[in-house]
Amino acid sequence: MTPDARNGDNLVLAMPSKGRLMEDALALFSARGLRIERLGDERGYVGRMRGVTGVDVLFLSASEISRHLQTGAVHLGVTGEDLLREQMADADERLFAMTPLGFGHADVVVAAPACWLDVSTMADLEEAGAMFFRAHGRRLKVATKYMNVTRRFFAAKGVSSYRIVESLGATEATPAAGAAEAIVDITSTGATLRANHLKVLDDGVILRSQANLAGTRAARWSKTALAALQTIREALERR
Amino acid sequence: MRPESASRFEALEAQAETIMAVFRAAGYERVAPAILQPAGVFLDRVGEDIRSRTYVFTDLDGEELCLRPDLTVPVCRIYLDRDPQAAAPARYAYNGPAFRYQAGAPNPLRPREFRQAGIESFGEADALSADIGVFATTWDAMRAAGLSSAAITIGDVGLFRALVRAMPIADWRRNRLLGAFWRGDALPRLLSRMTEPHAAARTDLAPVLDRIDPDAPEKAADVLREHLDQTGAPFIGARTAEEIAARLVIIKADMAEPPLPAAYAEALRAYLAFAAPANEAAGRIAALARAAGLDVSHAAEALEARVDALTAAGFSGLTFSSDLGRRFEYYTGFVFEMAAAEENPPPALASGGRYDGLLAALGAPCVIPAVGAAIHTERLLAAVKGAP
Repeated sequence: MTPDARNGDNLVLAMPSKGRLMEDALALFSARGLRIERLGDERGYVGRMRGVTGVDVLFLSASEISRHLQTGAVHLGVTGEDLLREQMADADERLFAMTPLGFGHADVVVAAPACWLDVSTMADLEEAGAMFFRAHGRRLKVATKYMNVTRRFFAAKGVSSYRIVESLGATEATPAAGAAEAIVDITSTGATLRANHLKVLDDGVILRSQANLAGTRAARWSKTALAALQTIREALERR
Repeated sequence: MRPESASRFEALEAQAETIMAVFRAAGYERVAPAILQPAGVFLDRVGEDIRSRTYVFTDLDGEELCLRPDLTVPVCRIYLDRDPQAAAPARYAYNGPAFRYQAGAPNPLRPREFRQAGIESFGEADALSADIGVFATTWDAMRAAGLSSAAITIGDVGLFRALVRAMPIADWRRNRLLGAFWRGDALPRLLSRMTEPHAAARTDLAPVLDRIDPDAPEKAADVLREHLDQTGAPFIGARTAEEIAARLVIIKADMAEPPLPAAYAEALRAYLAFAAPANEAAGRIAALARAAGLDVSHAAEALEARVDALTAAGFSGLTFSSDLGRRFEYYTGFVFEMAAAEENPPPALASGGRYDGLLAALGAPCVIPAVGAAIHTERLLAAVKGAP
């Protein structure tokens, strides 16, 4: 049976199931004496933590981890802050013990075509958007998978002459393809944005994200789970 | 999730029948707009508040649809479907579900699926009489449903426009101010920015701006094209070189303009904070404008005539609020809201207003006068019968 933090006493820890994020997370835990191994074959999605009792490990995709933290299906998870904040508008209330882990760095940014010489700030984007609306009878489209993060940030900046189109991949290519005029996406070096003839707005950095460990108040915390949490946090804080 | 959409189905049905009978007697023909609507018209026309709470999805053909967050746009589409030239006036009534995301714990006064009963009057040339008619019919329907008193607030989106239009300032500044009216907190920030001396020009833009002549704006697009040719940035997206150049011209011209006079900014701030008994509003707003050297007497007289007509129709004790209507970007004039007459009243039972630009935006050949209102029927029932 799949471990579930809503029933059972063990602490359920969600780890990223693939890519750099998984490798870096496993390496960090291992370096702090928390060796995690997969049960069954190498592609198994259930694991255990050597030397710490009362812990079940689930390997999940990064976005599933934030969803499971929201519902309380896991106690603890390692995933990007960008995904946590996208999934939960009130992440600071729902989560606790958020600990940046020092890898998985990526900025969530607002980017517009480099040819828009007149647009370098969010205020410019709003005004260009209002003019675009008058000229085209529709709003500027902003492609993103960060729909909630985008709405909150644009509202805080007083920008509303836009509409969001959901993009589930290759977001940076949508302006050149004509599917959107601007984007909100993650970038680490900016090279992909430049290759797609986009520029980051001066005040358009929404979030400097990295991988975080986070616990959720939505789960049921048994004594066993709390004790395991304590062990894991102490190990991670040790240098 | 609640298993049933309407917890007091029978009571709501009975109430709707009463409301619709009032609408019918006032000459409104009942229509049944589709619940599924193309997402674009809503996402492009309504304000951010509703837009961000609209349920949007893509169907198997890739068409972007939404569950209607409001019935005004769907009823406009029915009118234009029946009368594409919007040649004849029409009055429509409706009763049906609308859908809006609600954050937080479920609240019976803010259900995400709720029923709106409302009316829309299209093409009536006498705006004053149409405004009063929609207002009075909405109230009559609520009274027929058992509501004995209400706290009524009125507003007029046209007054802010009149204040801005009265200012002898550049067009682009007017447009900025008018646009910010719908953006809540952005307006005070814009006013502070506009009244301060200019920040230094952006150095990266200097080589382009230097070559742009505000007196020959038609040449600006060529300057832009040349510059982009040299830097290797291709044109992507739907904005044309002319549109980008038009803003560069504005940026250059704006650098040469003096800051917005403090008196104008002060008048707008005072207006946005303004609330008063409706029968005093027109005079006080005209005075507030005059103090800044602005003449809005035309708009103020229209407001005064409307308040007089409402008084003559038996509506007194109304409050005027300048803030009303700022959440729906399609409003253009008179707006009103009827709430339960209690201290700390729950959210409005009914609201409405004039939206003269919307039909043209949806495809009518010219500006067609339009005014309408909707009753939040779950809230009305709770106000009349007590909480569920």
